[in-house]
Amino acid sequence: MDPTARLELKNISKSFPSETAGRIDILKDVSLTLESGGVLRLAGASGSGKTTFMNIVSALMPPDSGSVLFNGTDITRLSESGKDRFRAENVGYIFQTFNLLSPYSVVENVYAPLAFAGKLSGDYRKRAVQALERVEMAGFADKLPYHLSVGQRQRVAIARVIFAGQRLILADEPTASLDGHSSGLVREVLHELSRQGAILVFSSHDTTFDLFRTDMTFNLETGVIS
Amino acid sequence: MRLRYILKATAHSIKHRKSAFFISVFSISVSFLMLCAIGNISFGIAAATVNRSLTFPLVVGPVGSSDTSLVMSSVFNADKPNGTIGYGIYEKLSADRRVRSAFPVIRSDSYQGVPITGVNSAYINEISKGFSSLAQNSKADDIFGEGGLHCAVIGSKIAARHELETGDEFYGSHGHVGDEDAHEHSSFVYRVCGILKPTNSVEDFSIFVDLRSAWAIHSHHHHEHEGEHDHEGEHDHEGEHDHEGEHDHEGEHDHEGEHDHEGEHDHEGEHDHEGKITAVLVKTVNPAATAALEREYSENGRTNAANVAKTVRQLVQYMNKAETAAGFFSYGTLVLVMLMVFVTILMSVNERKKEMALMRTIGIGRFPIAMMIVCESLFTAFCGILAGTAAGHILLAILKPRIDVALGISLEPFFFTAVELNGIAVTVVTALLISFAALVKIYRMNLTEEISRD
Repeated sequence: MDPTARLELKNISKSFPSETAGRIDILKDVSLTLESGGVLRLAGASGSGKTTFMNIVSALMPPDSGSVLFNGTDITRLSESGKDRFRAENVGYIFQTFNLLSPYSVVENVYAPLAFAGKLSGDYRKRAVQALERVEMAGFADKLPYHLSVGQRQRVAIARVIFAGQRLILADEPTASLDGHSSGLVREVLHELSRQGAILVFSSHDTTFDLFRTDMTFNLETGVIS
Repeated sequence: MRLRYILKATAHSIKHRKSAFFISVFSISVSFLMLCAIGNISFGIAAATVNRSLTFPLVVGPVGSSDTSLVMSSVFNADKPNGTIGYGIYEKLSADRRVRSAFPVIRSDSYQGVPITGVNSAYINEISKGFSSLAQNSKADDIFGEGGLHCAVIGSKIAARHELETGDEFYGSHGHVGDEDAHEHSSFVYRVCGILKPTNSVEDFSIFVDLRSAWAIHSHHHHEHEGEHDHEGEHDHEGEHDHEGEHDHEGEHDHEGEHDHEGEHDHEGEHDHEGKITAVLVKTVNPAATAALEREYSENGRTNAANVAKTVRQLVQYMNKAETAAGFFSYGTLVLVMLMVFVTILMSVNERKKEMALMRTIGIGRFPIAMMIVCESLFTAFCGILAGTAAGHILLAILKPRIDVALGISLEPFFFTAVELNGIAVTVVTALLISFAALVKIYRMNLTEEISRD
């Protein structure tokens, strides 16, 4: 993993049309910088813009203004295929529930992004199974996603991040639907990845995350970064 | 690796919408089955027609019959002849240095719907590929020779259809196929003396008898009727039909008198048959000779000559029009079917939009996703093409004996026709267009909206 990962948001603004108030500002002139191993927690009620923030950072959604630099590259200016490549190589996105591709087995889901990007090398299957072992899912390597519970799927999504060695991890309520054991395992692995140099941006209403080391908290309701 | 992933996603999608997939494949198959039948049957008819035109470039028949009617009745045994000409015409043509060989034919009777054609042994030698079965005492190279008056040579398909073997006897019916007043010549029996080897052409569906027997039977028939009915008051043909010139071949080509009467007497062919033939099939020495003879025998006011190749070309052009019309109907059906396929592919895309959005989110580009749709669409089309084409050709092979007999052609059930190849092109192009239409949907997809959708 490249220890020099650096995420820089410069004057990001984003608003959406509203039926009552013309446009609602979700992000207004947001600027922040995260270095390798940095952890940013997004706080705020549902609908406050946590997911919008993550979508902008992962180049899924363009900001109205401002720029997002990852290791010096303005990802808002990348072509669509450039954005796809950026996500495949750098972004590990973990959603609350929907994380796996149904046509592929568990282990294939782990290496799918790099397989499509043509970046698989060496004994990738062995490494993918090792990533699954880390989240206690190696025994399910050849199962299809519909055989798995929500918690198990979540763990496979994290194994995907471990395998790809992505440097920007976006976790949107990653433990919301999980049991205690799965939740603990997810927190533990995310912490480990962060310690290895990945930048972690997460949002969670799970109070157990309160004990999680965070470098920065961005309250999207107030717009305050602390 | 990428291709394997793409194919796996395609297979998964198809597996999860089996019913829609099978309905799509079935519909395309039915369209291809139609194309297969239209193409092969049209081709079979055209091929039989064209092959025949190569054997006899020129046909000379009575004046008043159109080229098409002349060719159809005398070359293809498929139409009623329109009058007769004198045997002298055949003799004159035989002696012409521009003619390689000439063959007199006479058509008047039929057997259970099959026209009986009076010919000579030379004609049989010309058109046959030998005999699969020959009666004792019959000579293969002179089948209507000595004692051949009652001999009938039948095509392979006729033998099979009517279960006739050498030595079997049958009676012909007076009148042409389809004549309402046709009745059996119970006093004149034909005996099968030879069964022709299959030629995959009109001969397989023909019955040939000696030219002389055709004259004899009708002469006999005429006398029978004279005895049965008192024609004297009604039809005084005595004077009318005493055409000396017809029977006087000694002077070889002095048929002026004969032909003078041809246009005048409608009943001539019916009541005074000896020396009358339906047409002369001519093999010329070269195309220039064909053209010259055609002109001569068309402009003399007594006969009509038809260039078989030219007439056949016109017929084939008409058939092509019919084939094209039928083809367009099938292509239209095919396009409608492909529209249905489009709807099912679009439904499939809609069902998988969220998954496709997830693919994009984890960095899988639009191109591989697009390829999944293209593969699904093409795979559906190819399955339909393959199933329809295979079913069509197998069905044609199974039905070949019936189709051959019904249409008088020799079907090549495993021949691929242009109609089918065009159909494949139409299907593949439509499948690609469908894919591109579906791709627009994917390219316009709002990723964040799809990901957040419950």
